[in-house]
Amino acid sequence: MGAERSPGTWVLLSYRMPREPSTPRIAVWRKLKRLGVAQLSDGLVALPADARTREHLEWIADEVMEHGGMAGIWLASPATQAQERQLAESMAAARADEYRALTAAAADATDLPAAEQSRLSTRLRADLRRANRRDYFPPPEREEARAAIDGLQSPVHSAGKGTAKR
Amino acid sequence: MIWTTRAGIHIDRAACAWLIRRFVDADADFTFVSDPDDVPPSATPFDMRGVELGHHDGDCSFETILRRYELTDSVLWRIAEIIHEADLDDERYDAPEAPGLDTALRGLSMVCDDLEILTVTGPLFDGLYEFYRRALLLGHEPA
Repeated sequence: MGAERSPGTWVLLSYRMPREPSTPRIAVWRKLKRLGVAQLSDGLVALPADARTREHLEWIADEVMEHGGMAGIWLASPATQAQERQLAESMAAARADEYRALTAAAADATDLPAAEQSRLSTRLRADLRRANRRDYFPPPEREEARAAIDGLQSPVHSAGKGTAKR
Repeated sequence: MIWTTRAGIHIDRAACAWLIRRFVDADADFTFVSDPDDVPPSATPFDMRGVELGHHDGDCSFETILRRYELTDSVLWRIAEIIHEADLDDERYDAPEAPGLDTALRGLSMVCDDLEILTVTGPLFDGLYEFYRRALLLGHEPA
């Protein structure tokens, strides 16, 4: 993020759902988690605004209302750059945790037999893709995780000699 | 009939438009609006918030239209899995084609306006339909 620029636009979802039944509430929570939202307070989450993030939150707002809740979609900008930076840093930190866990899982796998390593690398690669999709402010840990997973014996590599790295 | 959806279309709306024109209303005309309030009274809205032909119960609009118009063609449901994953990416289905198709459509939306996208993607979805039709008949991927 350019430090000299004014804060960008964020899309906010404010929502409230009945405590019971809990299934739709949990479904909504899972979807928000999957999107990597920043939790601003109870029932208020945010993502950097673009066509896709806005659309995803809009459909979730509809889902909340279909289950008897209340929801609103807002476009807003943090009043100060510091506040936006804080938000971005907290989101980056959440992704960094995910990436560190992937790096550790890849490191643990280096001693495994090739076949197991290759199976695991397929899974870790999918996990990495998932993390990448909700990563709006990539921390350095992202590249580290990618490198660690690339270093494993993978189905792609084991066919040849393991030199076909990107 | 006039069918209206949100401007700035991506995978779900492009696929819905193809589906509507090919299987629901051969004379369909499509218009695009930025605000739901701008939908003409005579039009049928789709893939917009709060309308019948939108997302419901975890379905994307393409699936909703299949259900609403009772389109049971298994080829269309195979395509629906791809559209669902490209649009929602919630891993309800195994559709490895989805990320590629999504990327292609997102790129297209950067260089084409909405009507141009429909023109370009029409034959694309025709082709997908034919591919999965043959795959289903053969029981494996066609050459």
